[in-house]
Amino acid sequence: MSAPAPSTAHRTRTSTSHRLRVMGGIAVSILFLFPIYWMVLTSFKQQVDIFTTPPKFLFIPTLETYIEYMQRADITRRLVNTIIVAAGSGLLSIVVGAMAGYALARIRIRGAATFGLLILLSRGVPPIALAVPMFLVARKLGLTDKHITLILAYSTFLIPYVMWLMRSFFLSLPRELEESAMIDGCSRYGALFKIIIPISLPGLLSTLIFSMILAWEELLFALVLTNRHASTIPVAIAGIAGDTVNGANWGALTAVGTITVVPVVVFALLVQKWLITGLAEGATKG
Amino acid sequence: MSTVQIRDARKSYGSVEVLHGVSLDIEDGEFVALVGPSGCGKSTLLRMIAGLEDITGGDILIGDRVVNHIAPKDRDIAMVFQNYALYPHKNVRENMGFALRQRRIRKAEIEERVNNTAQILGLENLLDRKPRQLSGGQRQRVAMGRAIVRDPNVFLFDEPLSNLDAKLRVQMRSEIKELHQRLKTTTIYVTHDQIEAMTLADRVVVMNGGVVEQEGSPLDLYDNPASLFVAAFIGSPPMNFLEGDLVDGTNLVLADSTALPLPVGDPKGRSRVTVGIRPEHFTIGDSGWPATVSVVEPTGSETQITARLAGHIVRILIRGRTATKPGETIHLAIAPEYVHLFDAAPVPQLADLEDVA
Repeated sequence: MSAPAPSTAHRTRTSTSHRLRVMGGIAVSILFLFPIYWMVLTSFKQQVDIFTTPPKFLFIPTLETYIEYMQRADITRRLVNTIIVAAGSGLLSIVVGAMAGYALARIRIRGAATFGLLILLSRGVPPIALAVPMFLVARKLGLTDKHITLILAYSTFLIPYVMWLMRSFFLSLPRELEESAMIDGCSRYGALFKIIIPISLPGLLSTLIFSMILAWEELLFALVLTNRHASTIPVAIAGIAGDTVNGANWGALTAVGTITVVPVVVFALLVQKWLITGLAEGATKG
Repeated sequence: MSTVQIRDARKSYGSVEVLHGVSLDIEDGEFVALVGPSGCGKSTLLRMIAGLEDITGGDILIGDRVVNHIAPKDRDIAMVFQNYALYPHKNVRENMGFALRQRRIRKAEIEERVNNTAQILGLENLLDRKPRQLSGGQRQRVAMGRAIVRDPNVFLFDEPLSNLDAKLRVQMRSEIKELHQRLKTTTIYVTHDQIEAMTLADRVVVMNGGVVEQEGSPLDLYDNPASLFVAAFIGSPPMNFLEGDLVDGTNLVLADSTALPLPVGDPKGRSRVTVGIRPEHFTIGDSGWPATVSVVEPTGSETQITARLAGHIVRILIRGRTATKPGETIHLAIAPEYVHLFDAAPVPQLADLEDVA
């Protein structure tokens, strides 16, 4: 209440730096958001408005492309496929990855650090180098063009991702929480499931959502490992963009692109709500 | 309640041994403090008793059962951690009842026991709060409540008061002592604060470098320290030390050849010694070692005087008040029974042992 008022000079400096920061934020936002804005804008244009120079910002919007493409069976099927694959690989990866991350963070295993590093290094292999071998393996196993194929393929990069995120999350929790639970009558698993997992729920959820977004927009493996049945929406976009017969249909491309982006944006807003802060607050000293 | 026996317990991390064979018999209902500087192995030993660290060698018995390979949850112990480790997603009631629920005790009984414990600790009004809504002192109390409510065989405390401010620490110290007198549960208490150890424990175990330096009742350690380390560690303000040659059992000759008359009956064959004298064992009179007063610090009930004696700084503690002023020369006399003799050795530097928390 009676805190001394900050000096005028100090206040001026703060407000100047504050203004600079806001302006920087706006500049970066424009840089990132403009392409998305342009995509959404284009998706509502008619073919004649798309190619005008200078580009039109005012035009009569149309839902024509949306209506056409949302009625196409291959697009809706691919949307459903994408949901199945993103949810499936996200859930599989969060379970396996979080448990592996916990083990790396807490259990004294000889060579655990090396082991963890090797898993991380496997992420350094360019996916394109793995695509063909993976296709051959999938064919041998009779797993081409199935949902499970993509779920397993995506898990190869999602599990390391989840593992490393959750490892550092678990490391930030005081070890005494589990020790206390173990003295209070829990086994190691009991302590994990009754104490650590409930505390980590927000972290687990945001990691899950990030993983699902990664799976949602993956193109390469989907292109190589699926054909008709299990193909995902990024494959459809690639198909429209690479249509050599009719030329790229920009209206279709941007409309399907927008349909793909909307769920991701919704997810991202959900993540915001689950920010990984202040979770273990109160567990320890003041 | 239960006895705890530690037989030649050893702990190694890889090829490094940090606990070199510790043996200790703790009686039923006894309050034992493990005290020593950081890295002395006291916390490791406590964690071995709890089952949180493997035992590399030797045996630990709780009651008459060897617990070396028994999981923490089956040892019937309760532990209070330095950082409290309250479950942040559970309220105080659930935190305190958690261990009982793990034991599948009836709901009504859990409720009753939690309420009783909360009453003992003055937590009745906080039962529905989450840990983050509590002050540091309240969290500490909940951590204690979580241990007490279980009525375990043994209480283990790992520096439970280190995170509290000085005033609260003194208050909780008395409460812990009162609780022990009331519950009479065997207690093992780890601290680096010798005052805490002295005031709380029936028996103090001083550890240093992975071994037990000395164990005994608090006053026994204070009056008869067996080593220079214990002498330097126990007592505040600390013991004064002078190194020199003992000539004829009557004079102490310091390095600069100053000869101080020292009434020691039996030097036990020593000639080169370190002499230890507690600050309150000096008497100021007309004769004795001449020293120049540099600082006088009255606290009301007693006065601490810092003086220079042949280039050495000595601390003197007297009951009551004094008219002595800085710059004056005083004469320090010591009764023979208060002179502690040790083999000459560098005095352990204990600045880092003082409670800085």
